[in-house]
Amino acid sequence: MAKYAFYFDGTRCTGCKTCEMACKDFKDLSVDAAYRKVYETAFGATTRDSDGCIVNSCVSYTISMSCNHCDDPACTKACPTGAMHKDEETGLVSVDSSRCVGCGYCHMACPYNAPKIDRSKGHSVKCDGCADRVAAGEKPVCVESCPARALDFGTIEDMAAMGQRANIAPLPEPTHTNPNLYIKASSDAIPSGSVDAQVVNPLEVM
Amino acid sequence: MADNNLSSLSRRTFVGAAGALGALAAVSGSATEQLFGSSVPVAHAATQEKTTWGHCAINCPGRCSLKFHVVDDEVAWVDTYTSKDASFDDPQPRACLRGRTYRRWLASPDRLSYPMKRVGARGEGKFERISWEEAIETACSKLKEVIDKYGNEAVYVPYATGVSASTARPFNRLLNLLGGYLNFYNSYSTAQISCITPYMYGSKGNGGSSFNEAENAKLVLIFGSSPTETRQGGLTTHYDWVHLRERTGAKIYMIDPRMNDSIQGHSDQWLPINPGTDAALVAGIAHYLIEKNYVDLDFLHTYCVGYDEETMPEEYKGMNMSYYDYIMGKGYDKVEKTPDWAAKITGISAKRIEELAEEIGTTKPLYVNQGWGPQRRSNGEWSSWAIMALPCLVGQIGLAGTNNGTREARSATNLESLPAGTNPVKTSIPCFTFTEAIGHVEDMTKEKMGVKGADKLSVGIKYMINYAGNCLTNQHSDINRAHDILADESACEFILGIDTVMCDSLKYADIILPDLFRFEQYSQISTGSDWGYIITGTPATSPKFERKTAYEMCELMADWFGVKDKFTEGKTEEEWVKSLYEKSREKTPSLPTWDEMVEMGVYIEKKPNVISMKKYVDDPVTNKLDTPSGKIEIFSSKILSFTKDWEVKEDDTLPGVKTLMPIPAYIPEWYGVETTTEKYPLVLTGYHCRAHLHSSWGFLDDLKAVNPNEAWINPADAEARKISAGDTVHVTNEFGTIELLAKVTPRVIPGVVAVPQGSWHNADMSTSDRLDKGGCINTLTTQRPSPLAKGNPQHTNICEVVKA
Amino acid sequence: METAFAELPLALFTTLAPIGANAFIVLFIAAFAGKLNEDQLKKLDKFSAVPAVVVLVGFIASIFHMANPAGAIGVLSHIGTSPLSNEICAGIVFVIAMAVYVIMALAGKLGEGARKGLLAAVSVLAIVFTIFCGMAYMMATIISWNTPFTIIQVLGFGLVGGSALGSLTLALAGVLEDALKAARIAVIAVAVIGAVLAACGLIGMIVTVGGMTNGTTTGAALTSGVTMYAACSVICVLASAIVVALQKGTAALPAIATVLAVIGVFVGRLVFYALQMSVGISMM
Repeated sequence: MAKYAFYFDGTRCTGCKTCEMACKDFKDLSVDAAYRKVYETAFGATTRDSDGCIVNSCVSYTISMSCNHCDDPACTKACPTGAMHKDEETGLVSVDSSRCVGCGYCHMACPYNAPKIDRSKGHSVKCDGCADRVAAGEKPVCVESCPARALDFGTIEDMAAMGQRANIAPLPEPTHTNPNLYIKASSDAIPSGSVDAQVVNPLEVM
Repeated sequence: MADNNLSSLSRRTFVGAAGALGALAAVSGSATEQLFGSSVPVAHAATQEKTTWGHCAINCPGRCSLKFHVVDDEVAWVDTYTSKDASFDDPQPRACLRGRTYRRWLASPDRLSYPMKRVGARGEGKFERISWEEAIETACSKLKEVIDKYGNEAVYVPYATGVSASTARPFNRLLNLLGGYLNFYNSYSTAQISCITPYMYGSKGNGGSSFNEAENAKLVLIFGSSPTETRQGGLTTHYDWVHLRERTGAKIYMIDPRMNDSIQGHSDQWLPINPGTDAALVAGIAHYLIEKNYVDLDFLHTYCVGYDEETMPEEYKGMNMSYYDYIMGKGYDKVEKTPDWAAKITGISAKRIEELAEEIGTTKPLYVNQGWGPQRRSNGEWSSWAIMALPCLVGQIGLAGTNNGTREARSATNLESLPAGTNPVKTSIPCFTFTEAIGHVEDMTKEKMGVKGADKLSVGIKYMINYAGNCLTNQHSDINRAHDILADESACEFILGIDTVMCDSLKYADIILPDLFRFEQYSQISTGSDWGYIITGTPATSPKFERKTAYEMCELMADWFGVKDKFTEGKTEEEWVKSLYEKSREKTPSLPTWDEMVEMGVYIEKKPNVISMKKYVDDPVTNKLDTPSGKIEIFSSKILSFTKDWEVKEDDTLPGVKTLMPIPAYIPEWYGVETTTEKYPLVLTGYHCRAHLHSSWGFLDDLKAVNPNEAWINPADAEARKISAGDTVHVTNEFGTIELLAKVTPRVIPGVVAVPQGSWHNADMSTSDRLDKGGCINTLTTQRPSPLAKGNPQHTNICEVVKA
Repeated sequence: METAFAELPLALFTTLAPIGANAFIVLFIAAFAGKLNEDQLKKLDKFSAVPAVVVLVGFIASIFHMANPAGAIGVLSHIGTSPLSNEICAGIVFVIAMAVYVIMALAGKLGEGARKGLLAAVSVLAIVFTIFCGMAYMMATIISWNTPFTIIQVLGFGLVGGSALGSLTLALAGVLEDALKAARIAVIAVAVIGAVLAACGLIGMIVTVGGMTNGTTTGAALTSGVTMYAACSVICVLASAIVVALQKGTAALPAIATVLAVIGVFVGRLVFYALQMSVGISMM
């Protein structure tokens, strides 16, 4: 069976968060939990010159991202119990809740803000790539929800043919974990490692 | 922005599902437990899952498809019309993030379940459960009393947009059977532009080109619009905009004080402007076009009147009253509208105005479009008019790839609505003036408040049926003033409120009836934009508790008045929906059968591109407009004659002019960039955010969490006030104070604060400061209506912001 | 610093367990210095439970860190790959050795050779465990922690705290004065080496993190929030080492040294957690 990847089209995304809410509804997540999040970055300046005229170099763009089901996941490496595991056939990374002790190391290790500990459930929670839907021949619920058609999901080969491997800021260089997220960058996007682009909507993506 | 202080966010401490659900269950008892208690994966595994189609019914107007997955008569999750292999071009009315939260609204502990009567003061929000019999008896006997005592003109159905469907307005039908009610005209969405467009383009066929026509343009100018935020669904302008942006070869400019979400990722398309100054920008551009001979005089002389002396109406010739004379400083204020003049007002440098004008003068086809932001202002009639005049100046109307400067066309499939009958009352008021019609009826005259069908109101509003509406306070203006008017029970004597949750306006109701969602009943709706579609919905679940449909409520009321048979014509609502559809099929035989529609749920129709005013431009003689001249009026004699006897306020027109302006001139806003004060040095403008559509969904924590209520403030303004990102701030002006969070961002220009409209007002009205902790912008907006339309100028505000 | 308080259980664990563990080094020194007679050593045996209790309280605190402690045994399943598994493994080995020593000591069954041998083993394992405690945070994707400073400071904290608690244990057993006669230099050396390592580790980390940036924050923003706490931590551990150096036979000074060490180490650990910085956009 093929291994899977997500695709994100930064030229189409408008940051609406339908993907996030569709996932929250399908996965029955509480208010404070989200498996997919939309990160906003904005940099540059909008000022006025001495005549009061507006001068702007402001740039802003969004990234919709869940778990990237990395080839070398930091979360599975950090996990002491093996609860966080990568499926050998599909490549999807998920939590075996019966084995998870909720130590939080997966959360700490992941550079993509994917796993979180749900203390009331007593284990780590994260996007599982809608493994059941995928097994049934569908795509993850987030992908099929996008009004702007900015998301896709499919074999790594197919997704890699459409974009580059998660190499735009504020995401880290893809070499750390080899994420299975392929991105068509908007003209605003700047490369990973650029310090200008920071996540500016922390309240929305905790 | 690099210095985001994230340290206050706690890791791994979010409240888990069980905790939140437990809290829900505690609030509302076993019903909620049943609704939310089982996790979805379990529900998925159940064998009894069924799916039903439904539609969103909020005034978006995307009205997207909803596909309910239902287990044991409870909604397990909400999907939409979608497919895994849909290409970018495949039309799919996918629900937006709000549509995806319907399960949470539907099963919210805040959902109204029983009829209630008010037991506290108006606005206090104290209610007690009563029986349906008592509710109907009270509502009807009071209605009869008001009609008997004051006449039908004292009965009013305020502007409301919470529910749309082919059978969604039964109360008007009911009231028409009882002698009628006071009409309204205008809307809170488009009062100023809807008023001015007929003056310019006539009342028929004056709509814009479709978005997909912009794919044929070479230059696209969008004034004050964020198509992705205002209509978020998968087959409305959100999708249409993304599609056009990708497919067009045109250069795009989005002219907005805020780098709205439709610009993100394409920041070079942002042309920031001071709010309320669009007409000045157009004037500056016009000056350059004239100087450089880029104006299309053939077009202007053939199709338009009033651009210059040549086409002025006879009686106004030789008086320097043309648009040209205004621009070149020969008429009216006698100021030449050079790019330098415009720069000072718009905040766009003269060089940038000239560059833009050069592009406008040399690039064809030109597609000029405006949202409804520029018009929702004290000078909105003239701002929107000026934007419409721009394509006329260069002859870019009626041709492939052009637009007439209005908002994009929406092509809906024909669908009949429940006939409202005929209203015997002919008097009509601008919807924005209803508080005056309650509290200051003496002001309700033709001239002052735009009363139509009569010179003045003979009686104030005494009885209101507020169905699925939040315009009594939240979406109206100056909430504190509205409260004082509504709280007086001797003014409006009775308010019947119908809704699904306790919104702010509902707190003023005397009797509340609990509504069902459109997807809890048979319902059909038609809408569209580049594509047309009809959604046919069947009940996802049975009615819970004592909730009823609006149609059933009207049936009960009609029965009380002895007009049930006339109201129902022997039909249930389901039968009405079906018969209205059959009637539509008679007009459009290509439509599928009713059974097919129920089965498919979503019917989508390919619509041809719309080229605005093509008919007129193709043959202006045969297809003349219904303006006084039969042509496009850049000078309107009708405005002059209509307003000649008015006591026009100084700040409603230009100095020295006694009428309202008959040309699309720039008039400074009452509360705008040129009229800020020492006390309120910032301009405050509203916008549509992702979390709620007007105030619908405004109470849902899930949406607030992903879209916190934030005032956008430029880093320069924030720094001067020691405000950091995420701080709680108070935004204040003469009308009140609201509390919300600060979003410190270069995406808004210095001097301007942007606050999303529709957040739920939340103030203790018995306190002196009435601090609105809900952060509703309408605590800060004025009730003074715009000069000509008598519409809501809700983006025209000034304020100060301080750290709370 | 607020984020660090979410890690209270871990901060308590990494404060108490290494301090308790390294206290056995002082017991080892006392036993080897040869100035204590058999009675004194038996007395000391009785008080070996003191550092053991501190270790156990630390381990109990760590349980509160887990969302599902019931499955705790599973954390050993990824020894070798998961740094946390390694830490817990090293911890368990240490605790077993410690338990053998303490049980036999309390039972009064220790001969001189057995005591020396067990204490030597426990001391070595204490250092190994402490180093693994630091290594548990060495994750490639957490750039602020993935430096030698992480290990240096944990080891330093353990040694300075251990020297104080070990001295206190001797004092409670009434053998401190005699033990110091032969072993003062060795005990001071442990304290001073610990304090220097802790200070260098903490300051070194703050300096390096200060120059880092990721997608959500800057190292400068993180370090500016912890400077005062870090200074407090360093002052406390240095003061603790000085008090250890000045102590005589009574319990007062080692008690003060222990309190200073626990405060200093605990605050230092909170600073450490507050300095967590992902290579990417992990939101805390």
